[in-house]
Amino acid sequence: MTETTAPRLRVAIVDDEALARAVLREYLTPIADVEVVAECANGFEAVKVVSELRPDLLFLDVQMPKLDGFEVLELVGREVAVVFVTAYDQYAIRAFDVHAVDYLLKPFSQERLAEALARARKRLERGEQAPVAELVAAGRPLSNRGGRVLVRDGPRVHVLAMERIDYVQAQDDYVSFRCEGKEYLKEQTLAQAEASLDQTKFVRIHRSFLLNLDRLARVETDDRENRFAILTDGRKLPVSRTGYARLSARL
Amino acid sequence: MHPILARVERLAAYLAAWLVVALLLAAVLTRQGLTWPAALALLLPICLVYSFVCLSAWYVCRAAPLTTSGVMRVLASSAMAAVVVSGLWVALARTWMSALGAATTIGPTPEQYSRHEPLLFASGVLLFLLALTVHYLLLAFELARQAERRQLQLEVLSRDAELRALRAQLDPHFLYNCLNSISALTAVDPAGARRMCVLLADFLRDTLAISVRDRIPLADELALTDRFLGIEQVRFGERLQIERHVDAAAARCHVPPLVLQPLVENAVTHGIAGLIDGGVIRLDVARQQDRLSIAIENPRDADAPTPTRRGVGLENVRQRLTTMFGTDARLETRTDSERFRVELAIPCFTDD
Repeated sequence: MTETTAPRLRVAIVDDEALARAVLREYLTPIADVEVVAECANGFEAVKVVSELRPDLLFLDVQMPKLDGFEVLELVGREVAVVFVTAYDQYAIRAFDVHAVDYLLKPFSQERLAEALARARKRLERGEQAPVAELVAAGRPLSNRGGRVLVRDGPRVHVLAMERIDYVQAQDDYVSFRCEGKEYLKEQTLAQAEASLDQTKFVRIHRSFLLNLDRLARVETDDRENRFAILTDGRKLPVSRTGYARLSARL
Repeated sequence: MHPILARVERLAAYLAAWLVVALLLAAVLTRQGLTWPAALALLLPICLVYSFVCLSAWYVCRAAPLTTSGVMRVLASSAMAAVVVSGLWVALARTWMSALGAATTIGPTPEQYSRHEPLLFASGVLLFLLALTVHYLLLAFELARQAERRQLQLEVLSRDAELRALRAQLDPHFLYNCLNSISALTAVDPAGARRMCVLLADFLRDTLAISVRDRIPLADELALTDRFLGIEQVRFGERLQIERHVDAAAARCHVPPLVLQPLVENAVTHGIAGLIDGGVIRLDVARQQDRLSIAIENPRDADAPTPTRRGVGLENVRQRLTTMFGTDARLETRTDSERFRVELAIPCFTDD
């Protein structure tokens, strides 16, 4: 004889305020088929928890130091369902755009939380996944946090300041950001990377390359009329015909 | 736009009044020997022309408005205009008469006509003066309406500014977060929840009471700031630390209400809230004889770009300091990657 019960929902709470986490913990703890697997005080911890503990659902604050809720969603949104919890109502439409399960406005009641849980269960039963493009678009920073690229490396998050990126190269399903001698892989198309970078600084010089103009030393042409960008560190990147036209327009 | 020409019904009423004038003048002329047809043939066309000429009184009124021109100037320009216009009118009438006499038999002979010229001239002067009076009245009426409208606009604007100032002083998200903290405390720390309710109530009451006053002792503003920080410390816990140095002599200085609290609020929301481990907000208040200087410094997220535009709160404080002290008030901000600092210096007035 087996009893059919809903599968246990494993949730993590992410909020930089201890009391805000306490409300959620208090509401969630008595619910039999919900298990709070972690509490995180910031976005970095949240990414780590998602990688290591694989929760089903995140309760995610929007305004947090260093990494805001939408940036966390960009990084982990493919692996976990997200319910935003915030005092600000102005992000609700955007939360809907990035397929957040729900949007709780602080302070909220236990009943409202139960609704959010029910929605999350439905979403998880259907096995729906948040679409990649929207998630990447969500990475556009909320407030004044422009000028950087977030790259996830398992449980770790690298924050690349835009001016430190030398160039971006397309590699199959990924793009790699070359930054201070290291390469950082991100699951993204080159077009998406281009859209997220400062368009006055980065130029598409080739089907597979985006170049930071500050790194360009000169352009060389070989005897077979192929052009190359020589970087300030001596590296050589191919420049296509249209890429050269774009480059000339900028210089 | 001319007030009479602007609307058809006004023009119709005006022309009807002139028809009456023309008939009255014709009656006078028949008493003096003209036949009715002759009088009407003479007067109807020239009165019609003169009615439009009299509309030009509007421009005389505008050129010599009652409010800015002296009585003599108004009288002189009115009389001049009336004499000139009426003279031209009489000349026109004479031309019309001779044309009428040549074409038909109803017109009086020029000799007969010239007897009536002085009467016509006097009527012309009087009618033009009358037109001037009417136009001056219209002008005064219009100016009064404009002034009224401007007054209303000003009232709406100032009401609007007050509302915006109040809204800027009370950030609703501060309230929502505060209520969320209370919601959390009710279960884990009921006494703390009650303390928070009292803190919040005191803060709101003080804010409202203070904001309607012109100036308050700095001590009151400091007390309000402390309540605010007390609430934020419940929210941020260890992350929010305060270091406060206040000259006892400075506390008696008078300041405009809500100059300190918005700056401290910025230090929390734009400084501490952006840092994972938080930090220390430093508040220094000093007095040198009749100058009061206040400095607020907070740590900030080094990764965040330096703010390019000043917040609403800061701008609001600056405006109010300038309104109250003019060039005697100084407000400066300094920012590097790690810290943000606001310094303000104002004259210190006390009760004693």
